[in-house]
Amino acid sequence: MDIIDRYAHEVGQYLPPRLRADVEAELRSLLTDSVEEKALLGGVAADDELAAKVLREFGAPKDVAARYAPEPQYVIGPRLYPVYLMALKVMLPILAAIVLALAVAGRFQEPGQPPSLAVVVRATGRFFWSALVNLGIMTLVFALVERAIRQRESAGGAFDPAKLPPVNDPDKISYFGRIFALYVIALLVLAFNFFPGWVAIFVFHGSEGTVYPLLTPDFKRYLPLLNTWWLMAVMLNLAILRQGRWTRTTRWADLALEVFNAVILLLIVTGPPVFRYDVLIKVVLRWFLIFSAIKACVMLYRLVRRRPAEPWART
Amino acid sequence: MVMGETQPTARDSLSLELRRGALVLAVLVELRHEEYGYSLKKLLSEKGLEIDEGTLYPLLRRLESQGLLKSAWRVEDGRPRRYYRANAQGEKLAKELAAEWRKLAGVIGKLIG
Repeated sequence: MDIIDRYAHEVGQYLPPRLRADVEAELRSLLTDSVEEKALLGGVAADDELAAKVLREFGAPKDVAARYAPEPQYVIGPRLYPVYLMALKVMLPILAAIVLALAVAGRFQEPGQPPSLAVVVRATGRFFWSALVNLGIMTLVFALVERAIRQRESAGGAFDPAKLPPVNDPDKISYFGRIFALYVIALLVLAFNFFPGWVAIFVFHGSEGTVYPLLTPDFKRYLPLLNTWWLMAVMLNLAILRQGRWTRTTRWADLALEVFNAVILLLIVTGPPVFRYDVLIKVVLRWFLIFSAIKACVMLYRLVRRRPAEPWART
Repeated sequence: MVMGETQPTARDSLSLELRRGALVLAVLVELRHEEYGYSLKKLLSEKGLEIDEGTLYPLLRRLESQGLLKSAWRVEDGRPRRYYRANAQGEKLAKELAAEWRKLAGVIGKLIG
């Protein structure tokens, strides 16, 4: 019965991955037994209507899952924890590679010099400092997301088996995608508003470094537009996380934000000079603009043809 | 009380709490013979102990993870089923709990009068 498959799948979504498949299989078997027995005793068909009655008695998926794995206290729960670990595993090697590349580039500035202990110590220090800052931001973002999801689940209202999403849900969201977006937005807001000097090219000569900022003071004219875009993107991502699934409204809003993004890029590209290396940076931004326009077209196509918003999020 | 229906009353919660301890003993005793979840539910029901499926099935998993039950998947009537049975440790605990239960029942019986 489809409704039992959907129910077992939904219970599995609240369980740690190590338990998921086994509990889902057992639930399917037990619930089918229960429905067939009730149908036999009542002289009625073992259909979805009877199954829905059995499922109502059995309880809401999150309550049932809690009985299988009672772990109520956590900052980052079992649904997000694997994504959190994956994000760290991606972030740490990237940071290490960047720090190593900068250190190597620094040695090329002084080819005759042997690698000194001071350079290694500084590079290691930079790595740990960047790792700590990024770890803090990422943990904070994940904790906020966990809170948003828990609020959604606790405000769920009466459980209705008919509203269970299908197993291959086309409106399933990618938690990794939403969290990565929030993380990047947090970094951008921090850099552009409070530390514009971070938006720069860093060149190291041995243990010393030179910073070449990319923004001129004139760039401030675009900050209200960018901040509006970032604020709207944060609100949309949190709304999607609280709903737990894509809806027509959030998909249209996402498309509108992408178009807004393209308009801001167009304004910057065609506007007066605001960068220190204006011609070069605007060539790069033109490619971003083309990518954004193509992305908006793909999003519109998927929306109109009712294709999944994030096919990679499907199970 | 049916699980997941409405807010439980204080009587429902206390009654559930009272039965919960006894439930472990009942399950361990019945699982001296191999059963799968639904057949165990029916067996207990026939003997007068009604239990929500939503409570029984997770309990089986917990007892297994505590090393008191062993389980195996088997296909019966064309359907895969997970069969449980108390292991040596589970049987030993069942005997200890049964002794505890008799003692407690005696004391409570005297208290109730």
